[in-house]
Amino acid sequence: MKETFLEARNISKSYEGVQALNDVSLTIGKGEVHCLVGENGSGKSTMIKIIGGVVEPDSGSIVINGKAHPNLQAIDAIREGIQIIYQDLSLIPNLTVAENISLNQYVERKVNFVNWKDVHQIAARALAAIEEDIPLDEIVENLPVAKRQLVAIARSLTQNARLIIMDEPTSAITREDVEHLFAVIARLKERGISTLFISHKLSEVFRIAEAVAILRDGRKVGDFPAAELDDRKLTFLMTGREIQYTPYQFDGAKAEAPPLLEVRGLSRRGQFQDVSFSVRAGEILGLTGLIGSGRTELALALFGLNPPDSGEIFMNGKSVRIGSPEVAKRLGIGYLPEDRLTQGLFVGQSIGDNIVITVLKKLLGALGLIDPMKRKKLENGWMGELAIKATSARARAFSLSGGNQQRLVLAKWLATEPRVFILDGPTIGIDIASKSNIHEIIRGLAQRGIAIIMISDEIPEILHTCNRVLVMREGRLVKEIPNASATTEEELNTIVSGKAGNGAGQ
Amino acid sequence: MNSIFRRNEFYLLLVIIVFSAAITIVNPAFLTVENMFDLIRSSTGMCILAIGFFVVLLSGGLDVSFPAVAIVAQYITVNVLIATGVDNLAFAFLLAAAIGIAFGAVNAFFISMFRIPTFIVTLATMNIFHGAMLEFVGTKAINAGQLPNAFKGFGLTYLFSLPRGDGTYYGLTVLAAILVGIIIITWLILRFTVMGRVIYALGGNAEAVKRAGFNITRTQFFIYCYAGLLASIMGIIHVSLIRYSNATYIINTELLHVIAAVVLGGASIMGGTGTLTGTVLGVVMISILEKNLVLLGLSSYWQQFFVGLIIVLGVSITFVQKRFQGRRTFALSRD
Repeated sequence: MKETFLEARNISKSYEGVQALNDVSLTIGKGEVHCLVGENGSGKSTMIKIIGGVVEPDSGSIVINGKAHPNLQAIDAIREGIQIIYQDLSLIPNLTVAENISLNQYVERKVNFVNWKDVHQIAARALAAIEEDIPLDEIVENLPVAKRQLVAIARSLTQNARLIIMDEPTSAITREDVEHLFAVIARLKERGISTLFISHKLSEVFRIAEAVAILRDGRKVGDFPAAELDDRKLTFLMTGREIQYTPYQFDGAKAEAPPLLEVRGLSRRGQFQDVSFSVRAGEILGLTGLIGSGRTELALALFGLNPPDSGEIFMNGKSVRIGSPEVAKRLGIGYLPEDRLTQGLFVGQSIGDNIVITVLKKLLGALGLIDPMKRKKLENGWMGELAIKATSARARAFSLSGGNQQRLVLAKWLATEPRVFILDGPTIGIDIASKSNIHEIIRGLAQRGIAIIMISDEIPEILHTCNRVLVMREGRLVKEIPNASATTEEELNTIVSGKAGNGAGQ
Repeated sequence: MNSIFRRNEFYLLLVIIVFSAAITIVNPAFLTVENMFDLIRSSTGMCILAIGFFVVLLSGGLDVSFPAVAIVAQYITVNVLIATGVDNLAFAFLLAAAIGIAFGAVNAFFISMFRIPTFIVTLATMNIFHGAMLEFVGTKAINAGQLPNAFKGFGLTYLFSLPRGDGTYYGLTVLAAILVGIIIITWLILRFTVMGRVIYALGGNAEAVKRAGFNITRTQFFIYCYAGLLASIMGIIHVSLIRYSNATYIINTELLHVIAAVVLGGASIMGGTGTLTGTVLGVVMISILEKNLVLLGLSSYWQQFFVGLIIVLGVSITFVQKRFQGRRTFALSRD
């Protein structure tokens, strides 16, 4: 048994009558990589904040290195070596790497003057500790997210971190960067530094964790050695129910119909090259590839936001030119953007307003004004259809949970009655239960005869939801998988990363 | 790291040189030592204001109250000196500085206590300070005859003098030394004090600064008091140069010119980036523009036009760069 670094005993916390955490205990060994998983609202964030001394628990105690801290403050937690790296990384974008790493030392040492030599030395030492080579004088803003993350990790080392808590560190980086991050975590482990890793992505949890603590509705379901868990079991423990994955069966008769949307030789310099494919009504076509493979750029081209340099697009066999989202909408193409908060929703507006915004013209009554009855009917119709849980259609969009927000964006576009619906990362940042619900909705839409193009970099999601899959790499379509259900995750993974020995699809 | 900013300043310098060359062709008298000294003399005040504005801008704030602080500090100080009969420059500076710092503290108080957007706070205090002065101190202009000698003497003090052809002399004003002192002190603060680094950091990510455990309130008090102090110094310099104190001077003329100069100097209107060198070059450019458009055969109304244009273009460039940076990040993340 490893030596214990941190022990949280019987932690409970409630906010305004809602029990966020109920008698949760957590033990983290020295140098251990521990995963904390749970759905949104399961109490993960509250737990992190309590360990970090940011939030005070109602009851329970925190023991660090054998010493009890009945009244743990943020500053005590930092002194004891607990470092939290929040999702936003808390970096200063306009300062250099060196200064970002050393900044906390100004506070720590209570100095008033800057010794630039020290600043560089501190930063160089911290980066050396994780064997990273990032230019010290680079402005952080100019670094890709994965590198910024490493800067944040290096910064935590300057404060003698013994436990680094990473809040969903893999949500914004590519698969390769995830590998790299894992290697860094391994190096931390060698130095006896523990990691508490919070993640939504199940496959990662298995890869990295020695122990997995699962939270559900503020209670701890248990601690499990990662080796004992699999996808299905973890999902069950997190949600409390079995989620069935049945591959989508594309109707045989519809498969004979002419394609609804066809693309021939579509190219845009530096983004995608010579892309040809087609999609039929009722199909769910998966489009996958690494971040930067050109999949989102391609989707934007189909929606008129990123006009191609050459190539042709056909709707119903007729050549069309899609120069703007207006045209796309008129042709019956809908697009659910990757970033639903900034691109997909008017978060300050009501749910109802969000639903009707795309179809205001259809709601016009006498005098060319919006007919309140028509509007209400539409709003309630879609809220019911997609089971958007809210107090009323007048509640503001930001008050909704992630899953409900995503359904609202769906409702907004479905109101336009698209014939081709492109969904870019429809389940990013959504917990498993809502996720499977959204998959259900997508299948329902396809069954109604909408052609779906679903972009995702989650291999299991693609395989479970789609009937056919296209793989993009470096701007080209490298593989078409006609029957998704007959493909394994490993096979698809290899194709996507292009790392296969046999060069699949080349 | 600095290459982008340096490039920005390099181009600005280039524009200044080309523009100066153009003026010199039209009027050879432009490029004379005397005219250069004169340019320094007349732009010192604007430069001091610009430095204060720049420091606030760096921190992610926007302080538009400085013209009011400058004129109020000037007008009150002049009146107090007349009323008390104390004809002493050091006293004038101390009194003005106290007023400037106090006004800065008022700004900082509202900004840090109530988290009101800095632009709104300073827009309001600008009117409060100036309005209160007009009501309680007065509106009467003070002419050269009434003005205490300390100011007049100060305005005519030279570091050194050179002879003109006709036997008279012209010189480099002592204000140049004060300006250089302010530039050096500000540079030292921004570069070598933790306070200065926090000012930069605040403009980048205020939330992260708070999480790191810095005292933001203290930093904000420093920033706005420093801007207030600089504005009050400008107030004294201004009256010393023109030997006349009018309760409505500065307030209507300096605001946009200073903003234009700082923006032209490459400081981001959203905070966090910019250099003192850029700010000083921006002031040089605006000052030349201010004085010499007429020489190029353009009416003085063009000046207003150009100042507005510079602000719009300068700010647009910042935003375009921001968007470009976003794309670049995306491109990099592919490797």
